[in-house]
Amino acid sequence: MEEKIKPTKIIDARGSFCPGPLMELIKAYKSAKLNDIISVYSTDSGTKRDASAWIKKSNNELIGVFEHEGYYEIVMKKTKG
Amino acid sequence: MSNRILVLGDGAAGTIISNKLRFLIPTEDADITVIGNSKFHYFKPDGIHIPLGMKRYQDSVKKPEFLFNYGINYVKDTISNIDVQNKKVSTKSGKEHTYDYLIIATGDRLVPEDIPNFASEAHHFYSLEGSLELKKKLAGFNGGKIVIGPSSIPYQCPPAPYEFTFQLYRYLNKRGILKDTEIHYIFPPNRVFTIENVAVYIEKLFDEKNIQYHTMFNVESIDSGARKINSLEGEELPYDLLVLVPPHKGQEVITKSGLADEVGYIDVDKHKLTYGNYDNVFVIGDATNLPISKAGATAHFESEYLASKIASEISGFISDDEYDGAVACTTVTGDEKAMTLYFSYN
Ligand SMILES: Cc1cc2nc3c(=O)[nH]c(=O)nc-3n(C[C@H](O)[C@H](O)[C@H](O)COP(=O)(O)OP(=O)(O)OC[C@H]3O[C@@H](n4cnc5c(N)ncnc54)[C@H](O)[C@@H]3O)c2cc1C
Repeated sequence: MEEKIKPTKIIDARGSFCPGPLMELIKAYKSAKLNDIISVYSTDSGTKRDASAWIKKSNNELIGVFEHEGYYEIVMKKTKG
Repeated sequence: MSNRILVLGDGAAGTIISNKLRFLIPTEDADITVIGNSKFHYFKPDGIHIPLGMKRYQDSVKKPEFLFNYGINYVKDTISNIDVQNKKVSTKSGKEHTYDYLIIATGDRLVPEDIPNFASEAHHFYSLEGSLELKKKLAGFNGGKIVIGPSSIPYQCPPAPYEFTFQLYRYLNKRGILKDTEIHYIFPPNRVFTIENVAVYIEKLFDEKNIQYHTMFNVESIDSGARKINSLEGEELPYDLLVLVPPHKGQEVITKSGLADEVGYIDVDKHKLTYGNYDNVFVIGDATNLPISKAGATAHFESEYLASKIASEISGFISDDEYDGAVACTTVTGDEKAMTLYFSYN
């Protein structure tokens, strides 16, 4: 992830399979505040598609999908109150 | 020296593990005690069939005492604290139990109160009382919009909501009111089932039966005036009859004892089923945070592994077996058909 974006919360769902990481993201989203940035780490490539689709459907902002050594990072901003 | 094995919970997991352990370990080598507080042991899968008149509830309940084999000490009490550091379990009656091996099998609980208006608006088949209420409600239903599905994840037996939907379809058809009914199925992730290839098949069956589905639908609230449910994702769905799996949480005693966060599911080593650094404390069944189904079948497969591991250890062998997350369960897809799902961590 780019240096300047600092997540409010990081969910490490590496090793868990879809839809585990997405459900962890939704759980964190429920308790997050407006404008919080949530980042989820996942080793399941399906999370890229699933989490991005959910972020869009729920009218929040998808900041980006990043590929790291052995895992993906999906970053969102809670823009819906 | 006789080992003391203490099992917490008298549901599916507690019953299976204690009977398996007793079968493998001679009475002189270990005392097995189970603590549980169920009024009766209810076979939850029947909850799908009771509301539809396919099963008599009297055949689905038994006294828990009846399910434990000879040589198992069954204590009816409520566990109030689990102290893994000092190897002590306290109960509401004021007793203290110590152990060499502890197996936590306290399952989880339904928390309908987490969704406003759930109690007055929604029906469910996740408890005997819920199923009997739903049976009455369905008897008076003569057509309209039915919304069915899990309100959130996790919940027990992931296939149960679609199994109920297929059986309901058949029931409505038999009663001649299918043509006057719209069935809407909701599901929290972006497909109708957690496992992708199963979801594809279920979607096909839904399409054939004209059952409409709405994915990425996590129930946030129920508007009792407008008779609509609202999702966290911003969608709304009107209903005449609402059949929702209530939200689930782990047991309060787990959170209170510091074994899990406020949601109450215990993090365990996925291959050893141990808790934290305690190699004599195990967790099985719905009480765990494992990424596999909360199902009696899971409790059964975990018990196969765990009972043989503990029995080997007690008889002086070291077992390096690991649990690989394997589970098999058969699910009904309607029209007198069923399929068996096999899965594991991989
Ligand atoms: C509608 C429905 C259909 C299902 N269909 C299937 C199916 O087809 N196949 C399948 O494999 N699974 C199915 N399941 C799931 C299955 O029933 C559960 O996963 C299973 O019961 C889990 O077992 P458990 O022992 O972990 O929890 P439980 O069976 O819930 O047992 C937990 C026990 O712990 C006791 N307890 C909890 N807290 C305390 C305390 N503080 N003190 C004392 N005792 C305590 C409770 O009284 C209870 O007896 C279904 C579930 C439902 C609701």
